[in-house]
Amino acid sequence: MTALIELRQIVKEFTRGGETLRVLENLDLDVERGSFEALMGPSGSGKSTLLNLMAGLDRPTGGSIAVDGKRVDRMSEGELAYWRANSVGFVFQSYNLLPVLTAVENVELPLLLSPVHATERRKRAEVALKVVGLTDRMSHYPRMLSGGQEQRVSIARAIVADPLLIVADEPTGDLDRRSADEILTLLETLNSEMGKTIVMVTHDPAAAARAKLTRHLDKGRLRATEASAREPHGA
Amino acid sequence: MTFASLAARNLLRNKVRTLLTILGVAVAVVTFLLLRTVISAWTGAAEFAAKDRVVSRHKVTFIMSLPKRYVDTIRSQPDVKQATYANWFGGRSPGNEREFFATLAVEPKTYFEVYDELTFTEGSLAAFVEDKSGAVVGDVLARKFGWKLGDQVVLESGIFPNPVDRTWSFTVRGIYTTTSRTADRSTFFFHWSYLNDGAPQIVRDEVGWVVSRTKDPSRTADVGVAIDRTFDSEDTQTLSQDEASFNTSFLAGFSVILSAIDLVSGVILLIMMLVLGNTIAMGVRERTSEYGAMRAIGFLPKHIAGFVVIEAMVLSALGGVVGLGLSVPIVEKGLGGWLEQNMGGMFPFFRIPPVMAVAAVFLSLALGLLASALPAWQASKIRVTEALRRVV
Repeated sequence: MTALIELRQIVKEFTRGGETLRVLENLDLDVERGSFEALMGPSGSGKSTLLNLMAGLDRPTGGSIAVDGKRVDRMSEGELAYWRANSVGFVFQSYNLLPVLTAVENVELPLLLSPVHATERRKRAEVALKVVGLTDRMSHYPRMLSGGQEQRVSIARAIVADPLLIVADEPTGDLDRRSADEILTLLETLNSEMGKTIVMVTHDPAAAARAKLTRHLDKGRLRATEASAREPHGA
Repeated sequence: MTFASLAARNLLRNKVRTLLTILGVAVAVVTFLLLRTVISAWTGAAEFAAKDRVVSRHKVTFIMSLPKRYVDTIRSQPDVKQATYANWFGGRSPGNEREFFATLAVEPKTYFEVYDELTFTEGSLAAFVEDKSGAVVGDVLARKFGWKLGDQVVLESGIFPNPVDRTWSFTVRGIYTTTSRTADRSTFFFHWSYLNDGAPQIVRDEVGWVVSRTKDPSRTADVGVAIDRTFDSEDTQTLSQDEASFNTSFLAGFSVILSAIDLVSGVILLIMMLVLGNTIAMGVRERTSEYGAMRAIGFLPKHIAGFVVIEAMVLSALGGVVGLGLSVPIVEKGLGGWLEQNMGGMFPFFRIPPVMAVAAVFLSLALGLLASALPAWQASKIRVTEALRRVV
């Protein structure tokens, strides 16, 4: 396998109240194409910051980020937004669905930015909802869905534009164990059957165990990398 | 689903708030339109003045009179077709002192030639001309006081108290109406000679002002200059203005009130903008994490700003249309008619000017745009990573 994401000598600093805080420290990391990785670590370890950098939501203070050979850190704001729309699918802890849109409309949302015709947009959104098993909830508004169902809609929204990479920030953080299992199974399926590269931030060891590889961060540095016991990672 | 429909759907998020904001804008539009209609009704006489009438009055002030012999001098001007004159009588109906209406002592034959937009609905001009104590009244005034042809009307005047018993008696000989939207239908006209004969010696043979009708409307200003030049060497000099200027200078006396109304109508628009701005800002604050998610999945700052602006403009347009929808029946079916009947002297034609109705809706839209500017800018500047962390 080849690396989809290449991070070299990444430094990330934040300035708060006149004080500069270094969150990531000269970090090198490759994420292989088709992998499913979990990022773990205590609060403030820099795992969400690292995820944001991979997804093009933030820029590093130093170092380089290449995704599929493209230097994400050198892109302009507009280029970055366009790249995210086409190459990255996002799954958030709080789902972040728009309450005024139905499930299918929420899934359709990222396609509004592409030159896809309305009929085609709707068709693709319906297919994405079928993949996550919510064909019968297409016309439901988020308030009519359970937490697990909302997260599945969020995953459908993440895959509707057929991205290279899916980033998930605590995707099971707001869910009960059963719903969390369903979401993790869905992510596993997207990875194994559709070949999506997934990077997931989690606090939950049980969730991390479902990934093929778990990386541990502490104080802005990668401390350990371990392959899942269920499915040893060869890389 | 489109960008616009997505923005508009946000209005359904908090229906009560949306409804109250629309009502707030609507009430502001109603108030704005009423105030602008007051100004329009007041200044309408100036705007719709006849182009061929010149009003000559005392150069010093409107309340000082002119010698009556000036009328003949003015009539002899080559470009003057006809001239007439009038005195402000300041009459009041005893027992109804609070009911204001204009009372003018006029030259009966020529006055209605110069003001030929006044037409008789009942009685005739001839009957009025022949009866020295006769009077003609506007149809609105006649309806208000229940006066009919042949009725005896008694008035008193603070300016011209009758030397005998302070009151003046008249017989209604005619009721007039008008083809002009801005002419007062509540004026009481009577013979100047009747007043002159009964007035104290000191104020006899004087007229308040002279109104001339010119042969060529395009030369009205020149005629005014020529009239004034004629009396340059007299003790009493004149100031002649075309009717529009004369009406405007008359309104100048109310300029403070008009300016105050102007200011208040502007303040109302400002309040409306702040109400809208507050609603939009609240919405933006509540949706920070959603905007963060939208930015994450590829929406640009301009898209987010666009959603905020469209939402504000839909809101303000709805408020504008509802406000206009409420104003029209309020003015056309209720308030306008009532004011014309009861305060016809000040508001002979109280209707919303069409241009102002259109302007109110466009102003609502413009203010919606302005009100959303700051929240839209703030929403577009949201940092994605911070917005996603925020839990509302």
